[in-house]
Amino acid sequence: MVGSKKGLTLRYLIAFALLIVMVFPYLYMVMNSFADWTQVDKKVVPTEFTMRSYEWLFSGGEAGIARPWLKAFLNSVIVSTASTALMMVTGAMVAFALAKMNFKGRDFINNAVLFQMFFPAIILLIPTFLIIQNAGLYDTYTAMILPKAMSLWAVFMYTNFFRAIPDTFIEAAKLDGASNFQILYKIVMPMSKSITTVVFLFLFMERWTELLWDMIVVRSDSMLTLNVLLSQMFGPYGGYPGPMYAASVLLTVPIIILFLFFSKQFKEGMQFTLK
Amino acid sequence: MMKRNGTGWLFASPYLLYAVLFFAIPLIWSMYLSFTDWNLISPVYYFKGFDNFIEAVKHPGVQAAFFVTFKFMAAFVPMVIVSSLAVALVIHGLPKFKGLFLIGFFLPYLASGVVSSLIVKGLLSHNSAFNVFLRKFGIEIDWLSTPLSALLVVAAIIAWKFTGYYALILTAGFESINKDVYEAAAIDGVTPSQSFWKITLPLLYPAIFTVLILSIGVSFGIFTEVYQLTGGGPNYATNTWQMEIFKQAFTNLSAGYASAVAIIASVVTFASILVIRKLLEMWGKRNGWV
Repeated sequence: MVGSKKGLTLRYLIAFALLIVMVFPYLYMVMNSFADWTQVDKKVVPTEFTMRSYEWLFSGGEAGIARPWLKAFLNSVIVSTASTALMMVTGAMVAFALAKMNFKGRDFINNAVLFQMFFPAIILLIPTFLIIQNAGLYDTYTAMILPKAMSLWAVFMYTNFFRAIPDTFIEAAKLDGASNFQILYKIVMPMSKSITTVVFLFLFMERWTELLWDMIVVRSDSMLTLNVLLSQMFGPYGGYPGPMYAASVLLTVPIIILFLFFSKQFKEGMQFTLK
Repeated sequence: MMKRNGTGWLFASPYLLYAVLFFAIPLIWSMYLSFTDWNLISPVYYFKGFDNFIEAVKHPGVQAAFFVTFKFMAAFVPMVIVSSLAVALVIHGLPKFKGLFLIGFFLPYLASGVVSSLIVKGLLSHNSAFNVFLRKFGIEIDWLSTPLSALLVVAAIIAWKFTGYYALILTAGFESINKDVYEAAAIDGVTPSQSFWKITLPLLYPAIFTVLILSIGVSFGIFTEVYQLTGGGPNYATNTWQMEIFKQAFTNLSAGYASAVAIIASVVTFASILVIRKLLEMWGKRNGWV
């Protein structure tokens, strides 16, 4: 099976078949979002197409009350971008301290990060909600961003990567009189592009698809993220399957485009991650 | 030396702030709340000692969460191991299109749990093409209202999501195996199936171990798919810890009681993962794989 030409062709055939099976749910979603309403879910591959599902979504259907899809999209962009940016900055800073600086208490912090990383986070949900509420932040962007302004996983990934950077680079820069911030920003980060892409994509994706937290700290319609709005709109008893697929497309397509855009760096970064 | 210590702490300060504000304080607060009957709104509340914990252990929702987690694990872990192993087995070492496969198989990982749940809801709706097809053979299943199939559907959705990601880990494992081993084995007359079971799997065990640990961790944190598809039902068949805690805290507003449930959930999760990990390590050692 390993070397022969026939075996290779067979493997390619199986690989493409598996790939089609794996991406089929996405294809199904896209096809059904454009399918004629009589065919939604009724055909594996719809034959008649319409824009009606998207029109329904943005006009609000029979009731004529449109849900704030565009606002929700904007909310998701704001929250995910701010949160991811903060997670990356704080992650790189802390990791730089842990990997490249020698100070009293470093081992303690390192152990604390690892301990907290493997601690079941569910215990923190209710009191974290109460902290946000008591700080008067309920129903704000800050409520969605602040508790997710740091990722221990990002610290962990950056720490491992920074440790592999030779100290000579940093010492040379120090001799030239560069400050630690300058070293991190001008020397270490440019050397860490591939890992930064991996960290960015994972964090952004995770933030973009968060449900539980964004659902409990926000009440008003105008503050909902796209994922929460989608979840509320098409709950267990929701009808309108066509618009359900259209809204799912709105949520999914941006993240896929972002991923494909960075896919080359992602592949490089994963090579390090998986070692 | 003083100065260097200072900058070290300065760089680590985001973590310290975060650890105090969003770890230490919530942790203590959670324990405090778990001994009260606080309802999330009223300014008045009373201490109940260990009553919340006793009540929780007797509650069918909590008991269900305990067992559902392990049932889910029993379904999800084999599913995702087999599927990711299949993908890795097929794509490792391919001379062409490997990038395409790595990216393509990773796409499901980007899906929101809400979206994948909604797609499955549509796929499994009563008159969907799939169910109409099954009915031709006399098979009629109400997927999400039958306890076993509801659990399996949720497990399958999550297995779909993680397959590509885990396949990446396993592919890297495959490619780190020295090819000379196979040649030596072939000379000794080892059959392909023997070489898979006796050479490939043992050498791949470190990567499989990673995937096992990751997927077991995932099993303890299921919320979105269950919330979206079943609400924990039918009759608690898919009631995960997060689902139970969410319902108690934010639907029933029993913050004190829900805190007790959260503490139980955390202890169970922490202890289970530790025990399973130890067992896996022992199992690997006994077989001489690690």
